[in-house]
Amino acid sequence: MSQQLLLQDIDEPGLHTLAVYERRGGYEALRKALAMTRQEVLSELEASGLRGRGGAGFQMGKKVSFLPHGAIERYLVCNADESEPGTFKDRELVQKTPHMLIEGIVIAAYAAEASRAFIYIRGEYVLQADVLDSAVAEAHAAGYLGEDILGSGHSLSLVVHRGAGAYICGEETGLLDSLEGKRGNPRLKPPFPANQGLYQGPTLINNVETLATVPAIMRMGGAEYAKLGVETSTGTKVVSVSGHVQRPGNYEIELGIPSREIIYGLAGGPPEGRAIKCWFPGGSSAPVLTAEDLDVPYDFDSLAHAGSMLGSGAIIVVDDSTPILDVAMKVAKFYRHESCGKCTPCREGTNWTVTMLERIDRGEATPMDLDIITSVCDHIIGNCLCVLGDAMAMPIASMVAKFRPELEAHMQAAHERALPPAAAPAGGGGGFA
Amino acid sequence: MPRPAHELITLTIDGREVQAPENSMLVDAAKLGDVEIPVFCYEPKLGNPVGACRMCLVEIEGIGKLQTGCSTPVKDGMVVHTQTERVKEAQRSVVEFLLINHPLDCPVCDKGGECPLQDISFGWGSGLSRFVEPKRHFVKPLELSPLIAIDRERCILCYRCVRFSQEISEDYQLVLLDRGADSYVSTFDGHPYEAPFSGNIIELCPVGALTSQDYRFRARPWEVENAGSVCTLCPAQCNVTLTVRDERVLRVLAREHPEVDDGWLCDAGRFAYPPHPPAAEINGGQALTLGARVAAPLVRDGGTLRPVSWARALQEAAAGLARAGARSGAVAGGAASNEEGYLLTRLMRDALGSPHLDSRATGALPLELMRALCDPRLQARVSDLEFAHAVLLLDIEPVRDAPILDLRLRKGERRHGVKLIRSAGADPAQLRAAARELSAAGKEVVVLWSERFAAGPEGEARARALLELAEELSFGETDGAGLLEIPAWANGRGLREAGVLPSAGPGLTPPPAGGLDARGIADALVRRELSALYLLRCDPLDPKDPLAAGAPAANGAEAVSPAQASEAWTRALDHASTVVAHASHLTAGVLEHASVVFPAESYAQKEGTVTHPDGRLQRVRQAVAHPALVRPEWLLIAELCSRLGLELELHSAEAVSRALFDAVPFYAGMSLEEIGGRGVRWQERPQAAAFGRAEELPG
Repeated sequence: MSQQLLLQDIDEPGLHTLAVYERRGGYEALRKALAMTRQEVLSELEASGLRGRGGAGFQMGKKVSFLPHGAIERYLVCNADESEPGTFKDRELVQKTPHMLIEGIVIAAYAAEASRAFIYIRGEYVLQADVLDSAVAEAHAAGYLGEDILGSGHSLSLVVHRGAGAYICGEETGLLDSLEGKRGNPRLKPPFPANQGLYQGPTLINNVETLATVPAIMRMGGAEYAKLGVETSTGTKVVSVSGHVQRPGNYEIELGIPSREIIYGLAGGPPEGRAIKCWFPGGSSAPVLTAEDLDVPYDFDSLAHAGSMLGSGAIIVVDDSTPILDVAMKVAKFYRHESCGKCTPCREGTNWTVTMLERIDRGEATPMDLDIITSVCDHIIGNCLCVLGDAMAMPIASMVAKFRPELEAHMQAAHERALPPAAAPAGGGGGFA
Repeated sequence: MPRPAHELITLTIDGREVQAPENSMLVDAAKLGDVEIPVFCYEPKLGNPVGACRMCLVEIEGIGKLQTGCSTPVKDGMVVHTQTERVKEAQRSVVEFLLINHPLDCPVCDKGGECPLQDISFGWGSGLSRFVEPKRHFVKPLELSPLIAIDRERCILCYRCVRFSQEISEDYQLVLLDRGADSYVSTFDGHPYEAPFSGNIIELCPVGALTSQDYRFRARPWEVENAGSVCTLCPAQCNVTLTVRDERVLRVLAREHPEVDDGWLCDAGRFAYPPHPPAAEINGGQALTLGARVAAPLVRDGGTLRPVSWARALQEAAAGLARAGARSGAVAGGAASNEEGYLLTRLMRDALGSPHLDSRATGALPLELMRALCDPRLQARVSDLEFAHAVLLLDIEPVRDAPILDLRLRKGERRHGVKLIRSAGADPAQLRAAARELSAAGKEVVVLWSERFAAGPEGEARARALLELAEELSFGETDGAGLLEIPAWANGRGLREAGVLPSAGPGLTPPPAGGLDARGIADALVRRELSALYLLRCDPLDPKDPLAAGAPAANGAEAVSPAQASEAWTRALDHASTVVAHASHLTAGVLEHASVVFPAESYAQKEGTVTHPDGRLQRVRQAVAHPALVRPEWLLIAELCSRLGLELELHSAEAVSRALFDAVPFYAGMSLEEIGGRGVRWQERPQAAAFGRAEELPG
């Protein structure tokens, strides 16, 4: 088994309490960081090469360094609105080792000169939010939060804020609007949150796993951490494996190992007698890969090169027992339901895609509809206000491209079931909408 | 506070070099190069762009993704393409997406023919849709308010209306409910959208989703003519476009002027548009009761008003005024134009020999004080309200006194951090305290004050305190600082400058003889020192008229309550042997006391000039013909002059304007062409020097 930084103590009973966490060396990284200057901490973060674990994969140290300097209030926001289908790594981290996250937040806030921090946790994570609340109270009582932390002069207030159940609030600017008490709609970027984020102040937003990795980086040193993984994807990553595998769960891996090793080695592969049809390497918004792609190294750039993405690091495996149309409809319906409606291509495009997929299932479609789906997805990708539209369009377009014969067969079979042979085929006609 | 600087940069759009202000949005910069980038959600008046509709996607060299032109500030050397296949495809796709759920009921839609969605679909859409599923359906149309209907199927969810409600009028009533493809615009719990500026959302809507209940199905764009004018229903004098069909005003639209209205209208201005009397009224068939429109000249006969011929009405009025001669008094108000005011001064001073005329509802101020307050160096512009460091509001409620300024103040506060200080009190100590607070905010300070502030027994002292404040804050030397007085009547400033004052002739020059102010005229009528009264667009017994407001209480002095004011005026009118009134409606005083009533023109029928509270002369243009028995008011005052022996030789509205410009020294050389459609502030012309320095104030 490769090196474990985040999950090594995860099964330790009572790890969520301060006493156990401290016994396992907790908050030592914070002491070490506070003894350093902010610039030194930042240099360690930059040297680590740690890329954001939320989905975009932006270098964390660089993000911190983007914050403007000067006498303005800065904010740190931890994105715990983990809503991407198939992703459940943050849930385990928050539930079992909340202090690791808090420690990471305090260190990152120190580097970012932020004195107010928020954890925005999705509303459905009731247990996890309760755990966080008690952990924050414990940390506060022990002097790891609040005024003048450990006599360093650095102060930080940390508020746990519960979301109300919207996927779009996991989009960083939608999250900020929601946190400010508004309807959670994405904002136009630029300005990026680093310049104008929460309450118009410079804001560092990071995913739970990213921030939870910070203590490990401080313990090991950035350069040492960067030796893990591969050049452009350093360190370890918690991968949530789900779907048709024998041992679903969270696995911490060193980035760059073959994907096959995760799916077959760790998760046990599909049930006996089944074969992998396709798999999402990074949550349901990643374009699907097939069994042919199992040897692609699991890191940011290799997956991008293979035409998909690492995203939130959630592998969903689909075996040959499931029609691809069902997968496509599940994904498309999710994103239609979660589209905020602010921008045109996403609002209308996700809805249109779902109705077309449903038409295929009812046997009322023609192969031309597959071309229209591809074209609609193409018109969504890159043209939206945020990436939610792309998150539907990319996997759907990949499914149509890679499984077109299956979809056409599905369409034909449904058509034959639905209509007597003499009836005229429906759908696909022109006309002015 | 510094206004945005406009340094020009050069960028390339579709191969042509365009000079544009740096950091202006690409959509606006492109227009300077005659390139149109289509938009739906972008509207600069609504503040920062939101980039929601995605219609304005363009290609910028060096940036991978297509960018929204509405939110991309232009930089020197930027190279933009709006005609590449990639851009065209993206734009076609947005049009296709928008039309998916749009009913395309253009033939029965009010917006048809003046609809951005129609234009953009035609110009940038593909002309075909591949969408065959059922469209989204809503119950429609619904009454969003008694004034506005909403058709949610036509809505393309650009959020302009919601942004207006949230960020401009700040009434926070319109919201977006549900999400994704199910989103719709609504109010909380379906309450009616009732707010002072609600009508603006009709004009903002780029489709036919929000329509005027009043204008619905009344006309198509190709059947109407649009005529520019100025609304004279309140002192804000917003610039408007009147939609006219068959000599009737059907609709009032904003005609954006950044120095006047910033492109908005209040609901009163938008919906209380100049009514056109029905045919029955024109023919004199209406009952002459309280509130009835005056559609023909009326003369009191046997105690009641009866419609008569123009010849008879003019003869009665001239005879009554001739009998009174120098024992006549006149009060002008309402929307009377500068020209009418000027002719009234000729009628009173030159034809009748009476110095008793007034246009201040709140009582006279000594001439030197009026001149000091009117000093060109101390006058603030409307846009100063937006960029000042601080604005002091003295005894004024903008949303009531000049509604559109309320939006301007909100904009200044929201976008530029203008500090607003309200002070109802006016004793010198309070003003000194306010001055300290103001100077702490910064040098550029605007004092927005109402005519009421300087009314009543303490009026003079308050006016002096105001001038001391101006002196202390060096308004005279500070650009962007100054006083802005909102008069009680819509054209109060213009009438004063035209010389309708007991203490001043045209141009605030000393008159040949001093006279009585409005209240003095009332008292003199009771004492029978005066016997005739000329009411030009005012009625002291109309509760809505500023004359009926009484006077505020002040230290040690009795207040004049509205009831007392009304009683005093009732006695005055009882004693008057002749009362000549110009009125649009039969208000209480006119109905009970007028001997002769001339029908007043609505502003849509009027030709002339008015003067904005900040000194901007603006043209009121005739948009519809006069109804059969209504005549230009300037013409009938001139006719009265003639019948009283004063031949003015003024035979056109333009000639009267010229006579006015000649009579007021600081209007010298002005022409209607110079005023044009945007108006001219006389303080900014070299002839303003003719105003002279304000004389040293006595004691």
